[in-house]
Amino acid sequence: MITAERKNFDEIRRMTDAHRHVLVVGCNTCVAVSLSGGEKEAEQLAAQLRIARRRDGIEGSVKTVTVLRQCENEYLDSISAQVGQADVVLSTACGIGPQGLAVRYPGKRVAPAMNTNMIGYVKEHHVWTEYCVSCGFCVIGFTGGVCPVARCAKTLLNGPCGGSQNGRCEISPDVPCAWQEIYDRLAALGDLDTLARILGPKKWNVSNSGGPRTMKKEGFKP
Amino acid sequence: MKDNQTIARSFSRPVSGDALKRPPCQVACPIHTDAQRYIQKVAEGKPAEALAIIRETNPLPQSIGRICAHPCEDACRRGDVDEPIAICNLKRVASDGARAAGLGYEPPGTEFTTGKKVAIIGSGPSGLGAAHDLALLGVEPVIYESQPEAGGFLRTGILNYRLPKDILDEDIGYIRGMGVEIRTGAAVGRDIDFDELAAEYDAVLIAVGLSESRSLPIPGVDLPQVLLAVPFLEAVNAGREVPELGEDIIVIGGGNVAIDVARSARRVTGGKVTMVCLEADYEMPAHSWEIEDAVAEGIRIVCSQGPNAVVGDDRVEGLQVKKCEAVFDGQGRFAPRFCETELSVIPGDTVIIAIGQMSNLSFLTKAGPDVNERGILIFDREQCTTTRRGVFASGEVVTGPGTAVSALASGKRAAIAVARYLGVRVDFPQEPRPVGELPASIGDKVRKAPRRRTPARPADDRTGDFGEIELGLPEVDARCEASRCLLCAGGARYSQLKCISCLTCVRVCPYGAPWADGDGLGGISPEHCQACGICFTQCPVKAIDLEAVSEAGMEGEIDAALGEASALEFGCWYSQSRVEPEAPLVQLPCTGRLSVRLLLHAFEAGADKVYVAVCSEDDDGHFIHGHRQTRAAVAEAQKAIAEAGLEPDAIELRVEPELKCRPKV
Repeated sequence: MITAERKNFDEIRRMTDAHRHVLVVGCNTCVAVSLSGGEKEAEQLAAQLRIARRRDGIEGSVKTVTVLRQCENEYLDSISAQVGQADVVLSTACGIGPQGLAVRYPGKRVAPAMNTNMIGYVKEHHVWTEYCVSCGFCVIGFTGGVCPVARCAKTLLNGPCGGSQNGRCEISPDVPCAWQEIYDRLAALGDLDTLARILGPKKWNVSNSGGPRTMKKEGFKP
Repeated sequence: MKDNQTIARSFSRPVSGDALKRPPCQVACPIHTDAQRYIQKVAEGKPAEALAIIRETNPLPQSIGRICAHPCEDACRRGDVDEPIAICNLKRVASDGARAAGLGYEPPGTEFTTGKKVAIIGSGPSGLGAAHDLALLGVEPVIYESQPEAGGFLRTGILNYRLPKDILDEDIGYIRGMGVEIRTGAAVGRDIDFDELAAEYDAVLIAVGLSESRSLPIPGVDLPQVLLAVPFLEAVNAGREVPELGEDIIVIGGGNVAIDVARSARRVTGGKVTMVCLEADYEMPAHSWEIEDAVAEGIRIVCSQGPNAVVGDDRVEGLQVKKCEAVFDGQGRFAPRFCETELSVIPGDTVIIAIGQMSNLSFLTKAGPDVNERGILIFDREQCTTTRRGVFASGEVVTGPGTAVSALASGKRAAIAVARYLGVRVDFPQEPRPVGELPASIGDKVRKAPRRRTPARPADDRTGDFGEIELGLPEVDARCEASRCLLCAGGARYSQLKCISCLTCVRVCPYGAPWADGDGLGGISPEHCQACGICFTQCPVKAIDLEAVSEAGMEGEIDAALGEASALEFGCWYSQSRVEPEAPLVQLPCTGRLSVRLLLHAFEAGADKVYVAVCSEDDDGHFIHGHRQTRAAVAEAQKAIAEAGLEPDAIELRVEPELKCRPKV
């Protein structure tokens, strides 16, 4: 799940205070599941902005509307009336939200209310942890189901490094060493010989560092 | 456009099917009174609002609030935890409280827009109920009552100690105030011909009840000291002296009327009263609480004895009885079997027969409607029709003996039937479906709280007069009693269309009500849900709302309570104590129902200070995790208002100084 965290309130205000009519647009998919930008949070943010703006004597309105997914044009189409009345559209979606809105509504100012942080796994209620960085070339099949690209601080493909201390990473005792986890998993599975194979240089050109990526699918098109 | 709006998926779309389930109390009530909703208002100390809810279905709220047989309480799921809610007593609290506040007794204006008139024969609960509802439907009712005063059996058969006459008068006065004409002392068949009535009115409703006592075919019943229940009760109720009444009275019968006869006889004579009935003590048809009251008043009950003969030559000297071995046959039908040799005599100077009643239909003419071979009106239960076009029937005359509230229900159905016949576009209401039983695992998690008893005059004091026995629940007791309500089926409702199966509700619910499988959220079990509100506060897409304490409802309460004030208190049912008595109050079953949004709403609605009552941290509160949710929401809202430039302590958490409705754990 894509997770995001709401920006500092002052930062949000700096992007919106100059505008009379603000529309907060919630997104009811990833950021809702990660409890940060769904309908409830969007309404809460709008209420906060109204309270703050009223206190500071800023005229205008802060309204809110939520769509199922801001990454789909059809859903964005459905809020054209509300967007039309706004001077700035504040998105509580991941980074796609404000950009999708900008594409769909070229004449409209957009602003992000969120910092998108990761593709996270729900470790427990209210705790997410990064398990994937969408590197474009998955090696998990050789590493016991643990991703060294996302979960090793050094992105080592043939670890561990000397910073592995009692199963923890040297960057923080809160961070488990991914290579220790890889070893433990493979040992438990009786697959330690997998580690005898050295993983060669990784194809980084399919990652984000190869420039913006586009995915296309073959098959039926209407 | 509303400030908050969700496109494409909204709550007006279909919600989960379980949402159609209703509380068992409402389903069990013959007139389907929304007891839960009025109990909630009693808990909040708003009796007039409670009375208004009662009046939605009940045209005789004060009378029924005193004498109802309360089948709702038998169905109450709180009975599976400790004891049922005292629903009937709380109904009385609502009407008494509203009266004390001078509210809720102004009848609604009615306009008889249809131009149609209906004659109703009988002013008992059925006739009054029908008249009330017909008036609301724009049909003009005129009631014909043979007795000098209206009320039917409520007036002539139920004694003042259970239903004071001034209370009944108020209920009837309200119905009269709606433009219902009641012609008393007007007996159909004697003062006005039935066929003339049928010709004069657009429809006729027969609601004459069971106004005549049955007698017994045994030797000695012709003696002057053998009396019948109905005329006896009529005389006592009218304050007339009963000739031939002695001081050692035998009442034959084991039903509620027999109990009333016995208790009245005790009051009138101050003498000895013995009840004799066929049934064993556990089989007696009278309500258990009536039997207990009678015994407490010194009435002796002789069970499993059948009357064989009244003993005495020209005065009653006693009742000869024979042992009754069984009252019912193998199929449960009434077929008493006696031991004819086991005879004994109960001495006494008066016998009152209270073994049942029948209707008097002597006013019917050749033109019908028809009666069957047993002299009972031929009747269609669904359409309330008789064999004569335009003539309808309701109440005990067609249903047989039952409770006042059942007669009321029958009259209300007849009102719809008559109105439909007269061209009014109205449907019969759908029968509600009850929520299932309380799972034992959930019952164990509900905090126990004893039922509050309504104070009553002690037995040795009350038998000297006909003054009312029950004194009504004091306000704090009433509010605490109301707070015991489990809000069955009043908890989480969710929209399948809005739900994104994030599993938040599954993870946070302390009662395990939401359930999920590989396809996502499967449902929220209304049987398990305790309406604590945690899922509602946590759902990220607002797919969950609470049936009984909805978000829109809470916003409305906040706006209404705040008015022009600048401070607001959110309080809790279960403590009933104030943390800031000067501030207007919004009372919730638990402040754990407060979401951050609702707290912010208070500031948007004009508050500059909000107090939130909460249990102490060492007390887990009424709901599991309730106080933790309150604390979490307040902390989050404090942060939010601080970001918006207000002082964070503009929201102040205050531990309740007193727990009035339950002991501290």
